[in-house]
Amino acid sequence: MNVLLVILFAITLIYLSITERFRIYATLIGLQGVLLFVLAFLELETITLGTLLFVAIETLVFKVIMVPYLLLRIIRKTGIERVHEKALPGFYSILFVSAGLLLSIVISFSMNTTPRNMIHFIVSFFAIYTGLFLIISHKKIFAHLIGFLVIENAVLLLSLAIGSQIPMLINMGILLDIFVSVLILGIFVMRLKQHTHELTMLKDE
Amino acid sequence: MNNAGTILILFFALSFLAGSVVMLFRNKALTRAVTILFAAVHLGFTLYCWYHLDETALGYFTFDRIGVLLMSVLSILTITTVYHGFIYVKNDAPKAYAIYHTALIALVTAMSGAYLANGMTIVWIFVEATTLAVAALIYHDRTALALEATWKYVFVCSVGIALAYIGILFLGFTVGDARLLHLSFASVSEIARLADPLYLKIAFVFVLIGYSTKMGLFPMHTVTVDAHTVAPPPVSAFISTTLMNVGFLAIFRIYALFSATSILPFMNHVLILSGMLSLLVSSGYMLKAKHNKRMLAYSSMENMGIVAIALGIGGIGYYAAILHIVLHSFTKAGLFYQIGQSYKVMGTYQLDESGNYMNLYPAGATALLLGLLCITAIPPSGMFISEILLLKAMVVRGDYFYLIMTAALLCFVMYALLTRVLHIVYSQPRGIKSELHERVNSWQTVSQFILFGIVIFICFVQPAPFRQLLEGIVGGLPK
Repeated sequence: MNVLLVILFAITLIYLSITERFRIYATLIGLQGVLLFVLAFLELETITLGTLLFVAIETLVFKVIMVPYLLLRIIRKTGIERVHEKALPGFYSILFVSAGLLLSIVISFSMNTTPRNMIHFIVSFFAIYTGLFLIISHKKIFAHLIGFLVIENAVLLLSLAIGSQIPMLINMGILLDIFVSVLILGIFVMRLKQHTHELTMLKDE
Repeated sequence: MNNAGTILILFFALSFLAGSVVMLFRNKALTRAVTILFAAVHLGFTLYCWYHLDETALGYFTFDRIGVLLMSVLSILTITTVYHGFIYVKNDAPKAYAIYHTALIALVTAMSGAYLANGMTIVWIFVEATTLAVAALIYHDRTALALEATWKYVFVCSVGIALAYIGILFLGFTVGDARLLHLSFASVSEIARLADPLYLKIAFVFVLIGYSTKMGLFPMHTVTVDAHTVAPPPVSAFISTTLMNVGFLAIFRIYALFSATSILPFMNHVLILSGMLSLLVSSGYMLKAKHNKRMLAYSSMENMGIVAIALGIGGIGYYAAILHIVLHSFTKAGLFYQIGQSYKVMGTYQLDESGNYMNLYPAGATALLLGLLCITAIPPSGMFISEILLLKAMVVRGDYFYLIMTAALLCFVMYALLTRVLHIVYSQPRGIKSELHERVNSWQTVSQFILFGIVIFICFVQPAPFRQLLEGIVGGLPK
């Protein structure tokens, strides 16, 4: 079951890297949140109310509801629906993403770990790669934001591989990170849209 | 809870109280009083740390030598930054005035926490907090450029911090249990010796890339350069020194943690590569810099490159790295305060429109020349000592390729800085008439002279306690 969910997560990553519609980005980020919640729930060895509540807030409230809601709000306010200026055509995107998946598999196989961790490693590395790829290959800041959210999800997926006994400090760290993402989404993107969808003013002449 | 724990809680509580009072009352006189009081409390807390070296507080913080040394630099620069901040924001509306000072207090507190934290997760949390606090400061002027720089800073730092976090998680894999992650560096160090080197290498690379956003190393340097360019000069002085030191310390701690393992040569190579690339990129951009603050921002990147190389070279390079980071902090802060004053006097940051500074404001121009001497490591600058020690370490190790590369790139940097600063000081602006925009009181330049004075003093005299302190910090690293 866990392996199936992680593979499904990997499929969303491939879809994210080739899609051009912002609404699909938002939907896929929400879907990743659901997958992470189910994964986290299944990983819990001892379910206390506190742990369950924490996982639910972290994944369902933030990643499934709040983040996609803010993303859709940005789409509505800015009126931009799809990526017009991709640095790379779709075909090359698939090539790069496939290479990333291959690289993740090679790195993960070279690590001495359990089969359970192996699949987590592959998909987490792939998620980091995809996140960075989205940031580098797109000009619009909305796509950069999606890249960042994908990296955030990779962090959570990787932390699940360590085990269910994640200390409160790490949880606090992840929550703080989510807070920053919401801050970026909520404040800066909405303000930035008044000026530009791309960031080109600050540069060396 | 021991005394150190009580004092630490008291410090955090007072910082929180100070920030809250400033934000709630939004009264300029009260804000000034509270901020001065906060700077005094910070200084007092640093002195307490000195008297209680190596004590652990609350289990998560240790007053170790390097942490307290950087805390001292922070305390000194807090005083000067608060002073120059008062001048910079004096005409602001009460709300903007309050936000600026609340964010400044939050930033100093977060940086203090990051310096004293004794575990990677705690460091990470405080580093994340510095990003939030500094965002409010970069955005202070509310211009389109400030917005873009703030967005880039928050965004790239968040990506970097997420990557650093992945490094920390790999540390969890190496120790085999995530619960150990909140243990002190010393405890993890014991376990790291037995860990799989591949995991350690991955952890180190992620942490290095992640915290490079704070330290300003290649390839994550762009956002710090943009932030320096746009932020108010007193804030630039902070970002360029004490905040970069936070990034350095996080990397240094991981380096020290893994230095007893088999991946030491790997870490050294990665650090030298990162440092060399930083030096190469910064020297290239400094040669084409047309913006005075941007030029200083690239200079910070160059100096962080030197520190990374020194760390990677090892031996006396370790001593050089710590000495360099301290002296660079004083020099660069002084230069940013000065370039802020030059903006008032000349009304521009553009290099071509700058000039005739010696006639317009002789005290400021003299300070700028002194700062130039210090930052280019020309004797009697103390930075000459740290750079010569680095070159000596390269000779001792027989790394002649690195020696030639470093020396050549430093020549480019020196040429770029000398031609540009001398143009600001002595030449006439290109295409426009030189005129005084705003008069600056000479007393406002005293702090720069003091900071440069410290750097020059270190060239001639390195007091025995100071030398022993630096030797104590690097004592645990491999010879």
